[in-house]
Parts: sequence; C-alpha cells; structure tokens
Amino acid sequence: MTIRVAAVGDIHLSEHARGTYRARLNGIEERADVLLVAGDLTRHGTVEEGQVIADEFRGLAIPVVFVLGNHDYHSDAEQEIMAMLRATGHFVLDDSAEVLLGGRLGVAGGKGFGGGFAGKCANEFGEPETKAFVRHTREIADRWRIALKGLDTQHRIVLSHYAPVKDTLAGEPPEIYPFLGSYLLAEAADAAGADLIIHGHAHAGTEKGATPGGIRVRNVALPVLGRSYATYGL
Amino acid sequence: MDIWDPPHYVAARVQRAIAEDERTNELGIKVDIRGDHLFLHGQVCEEDQRERVAEVAAEAAPGLVVHNEVICVAVGEPGEEELL
Ligand SMILES: [Fe+2]
Ligand SMILES: [Fe+2]
Repeated sequence: MTIRVAAVGDIHLSEHARGTYRARLNGIEERADVLLVAGDLTRHGTVEEGQVIADEFRGLAIPVVFVLGNHDYHSDAEQEIMAMLRATGHFVLDDSAEVLLGGRLGVAGGKGFGGGFAGKCANEFGEPETKAFVRHTREIADRWRIALKGLDTQHRIVLSHYAPVKDTLAGEPPEIYPFLGSYLLAEAADAAGADLIIHGHAHAGTEKGATPGGIRVRNVALPVLGRSYATYGL
Repeated sequence: MDIWDPPHYVAARVQRAIAEDERTNELGIKVDIRGDHLFLHGQVCEEDQRERVAEVAAEAAPGLVVHNEVICVAVGEPGEEELL
C-alpha cells in the first residue's frame, strides 16, 4: 500500500503570520498520511515565532515531523522551539529518527549543514574555525548514518534542512553552494539506504534531483514549490 | 572630504543589511547598482516583507533610487501527487 508523504520547507512564519497559515493545510489528511516540514519554520528563531508554529500546526489529523533550519537557530532558542513543538504532539528530528504509521515509515535526519560538494568543498584542515565548520557537518552525517541504520521499517526517508546534492540547487549562485549543503549528507544516506531525501534552504533552487547512489532528492522550499506542499507516493 | 564608495561595496553592504537586519533577515536578495539606481531582485514569502526589504535597502544606501523588483511567492493549491 502506498504511503503518501506531504512535504514543505522554508515557511518562515513571523508573528505577523499568526492565524494565517493554517488554512493552507485544510484537507491535508485527504491527500497525505504524514507531513514532513524541512526547517526554516520561523524568520528569526524566537520563542514567540516558535509558538506561532506550534499553534498553526496544532491538532492536524496526520502526524507532523519537523526539523529546524538555520533561521530557527538565530535567537539561540532552538531547544525551546523543539520542546514546544514536541509538547504540541509533533515529532522533531535532531539527528535522530522516528517510526510512524505503525512501523511502515521511518524518518531520520535533522538540520544538516554546509561545506560544499565533492571535489569543491571545505576540508578539516587549517584554522580551527574552518575545521569546526566541516567537523559539524561530518558529525551530523555520522549521526544520520546511525539513525538510519537503526530503522527497521518498510520505507525510510531522510528529512533535512540543508541540501545533500547540487542537483536541487540549480538556480542558486554556484559561489554559495558550500553554504547551502554538503555531499556528506548524501553519502550517509547512500551508505545506510533510504527511499527519499527531503530538504529545503535553497529558495532559488529546483525541486528534483538524486544522490550519486540513486536516492531521489526533493527540494521542498516553499518558493521552489510555489504550492502549499508537495505530495510524494512511496 | 567625501569618500566615494565603489558601487560594488555599496551593493555588498545593502545585501548584508537585508540579511542581518532583524526587520528582514532575508538571505536570497540580489542587489544591483547602476548609476544612481539600486535594483532589488529575489523572492519573499510575505507582501509586507517585500516592503521591509526595500526600507532596509534605502537606509543602507542613502541617495540611491531604490527599485523594488522583489516578488512575493504565490502559493497555489497542493496539486498532483508524484509517485516515486
Ligand atoms: Fe529558508
Ligand atoms: Fe535556510
């Protein structure tokens, strides 16, 4: 039986958006079995904006899985935002995994990070700042590999904010690719196996791509989709 | 003495202001300066964000005429399911 996955990212709700977003999700339970939200939920990452997110997604008839994005880290309130979303009954991935739909679907992932793509990327070499940047991504990728391997489900999806491949960045200036994602994220998914990778962050990118290992990648940033959410059948 | 700012640096300063100013925090806006004219391109999610981007740009580059060509993303119905 097909699993229908709805996905969107980069909704960037500010406090001005309170009460206006929910209408876009009306009837989603008719179209999808689960909703994945690929980070950049807020504009400034404040607790007040986190409350707007929790309220706008409250009580949907299908499970909702979130990851945070870079904007959601801006006010150093990411832990509080995650706790608020969990308290509202949502799932939040922070380099972790969740099993849904009675064991049929596993979703692993988190925010992800940058560094660039194979052959044109930053390395763990030189100044401590450079090493810390690249190490952050490598450690995330290592945790995703473990999280994915622990999923014993019929289907597995990786949910990220940052991009795992260049395909879905087409439209963005190549000079900023290292800030948009890292191939280490794709490598982890290819090593552990997954049916689909969902990401956001690249507002000017392209919806469809694939990893070197052949896993389908979908950039669901709202400006890329131009629709309330995309729906994928697995 | 008046110091002339090369347009290249003014554009970079405006782009940085749009990204870092708390009113906007908008990362994907392109800034192009031609003579006394400053052009803003890109996409935002809310109509009032479009206006805030132009406001921050005008403050960061006083004396330039700001042309706000940023568009607000139109969000349509969910549409067709893609079977993978
Ligand atoms: Fe974003
Ligand atoms: Fe982002």
